[in-house]
Amino acid sequence: MTEHLSYPNLNSLVDGELSADQLAMANTHLSQCPSCTSDALRHSLLKSAIGKAGQRYLPASDFQARLLRRLREDHSQQEASRPDHARPSVPRSPFYGWAAAVALLLVCIGAVLVQHIGSRTAIASAQYAALATEVCDQHIAALAENSPPEVISSDRHTVKPWFQGKLPFSFNLPDNLPAGTTLDGANLTYIHGRPTAQLLYSIGKHRVSVYLQQRSEDVSASRLSTDRSGFHVISFNTGDINGIAVSDVEPARLADLVSIVEHAQK
Amino acid sequence: MTLLPWKRADRESGTQTSAFEEQALPLLSSLYNIAFWLTRNSADAEDLVQETMLKALRGFSSFETGTNFKAWIFRILRNTYLTSRSGLAARRTVALEDELHETGEFGPAQYPEAAIDHQTPEVNLIRMGDRLALQAAMENLPAPLLEVILLCDVEEMKYKEIATVLNIPIGTVMSRIARARANIRRALTRVFERSTEIKL
Repeated sequence: MTEHLSYPNLNSLVDGELSADQLAMANTHLSQCPSCTSDALRHSLLKSAIGKAGQRYLPASDFQARLLRRLREDHSQQEASRPDHARPSVPRSPFYGWAAAVALLLVCIGAVLVQHIGSRTAIASAQYAALATEVCDQHIAALAENSPPEVISSDRHTVKPWFQGKLPFSFNLPDNLPAGTTLDGANLTYIHGRPTAQLLYSIGKHRVSVYLQQRSEDVSASRLSTDRSGFHVISFNTGDINGIAVSDVEPARLADLVSIVEHAQK
Repeated sequence: MTLLPWKRADRESGTQTSAFEEQALPLLSSLYNIAFWLTRNSADAEDLVQETMLKALRGFSSFETGTNFKAWIFRILRNTYLTSRSGLAARRTVALEDELHETGEFGPAQYPEAAIDHQTPEVNLIRMGDRLALQAAMENLPAPLLEVILLCDVEEMKYKEIATVLNIPIGTVMSRIARARANIRRALTRVFERSTEIKL
């Protein structure tokens, strides 16, 4: 592909809709054409910003419970109105009544617990999605800017002290990095309005951003990973630090770097 | 001969309801978000999602297991919206395809390929974290463009899935996405120009 990428092609590129052949041709062209690369990044930035801005409304906390009640009522009515002459009458005894009451109570308690857990899970998952979108945004912006990091150094003893007085917490940088991985520098940035260290690494020709923030209580302890607009996102939490890494490098290599950064905090 | 057919029917019905809830509830937040964008208020959004869920549950027996549940239920949401009070009002006030074709499919006049710049207004606004400007630009999109961009960029659906939800050809999905993004860029450009004029 020697001509510039057309507007529809740029859209298909950022939407992940190009065929393997088209993508290979587009990548070849992008590697030679700074203006199309800049335009593709601009498209990608807008797409992820729209994605983030579009995740705007959350249902009321009791909506799911009300909805489930309504669905089950409707389902019962549908069942009751169905002609069911085949159903025989069942002889009843007081034991069945008590057993049914106990079973109903257990079901209600279970439903409340499931609903509570489900709603917490939904909120946590929405928060994580918003966080992943925001870090992807910042990573894309860092790639698009073509401007050097605020501190440029491959020396961890230069990068870490640069944050003194800029962050309300401290962190460690790993001694040894995986083969082919280098520290390029760092930026001070803000995620969800909180001061954050953006560590910039390169794995081969792929750029990686690792964001470190003071730990917040509402973050679960488990490691999570997801994909956003073609980027891999992996988060981790240690005693004092929440970390999240984003890159288009293969997930296993990103996971290696994340493990080393995570281990350095312990 | 089938023994106790009513017992089997009860069990199948209960299994079906829980299978439906298992697939539908994780999508509740997404359905509500899209419903709110379309109806512009929480009461109508809740009504729309509830109506969608009821229709989907009643029709769940016709849903083919293993196919795309998300596309299926979003299609029900969209069709329910179109026949709702707010959906009918939106259709009355927006001439859908006429408006889309009025200025061409991709709006080339506003976006010459040569006019590529790192410091474009939308990039500047996005960098500044001006989510309100972006949301305002989205709010001003005509309904057909808003729904397509929400499905593409917020729900991250593939063009094929969007075509299924909206019941339109993939080519129309692509042209609407292009026009939606072009409209948003134009709106952000206007906001950015206004803000720089005020500063000057």
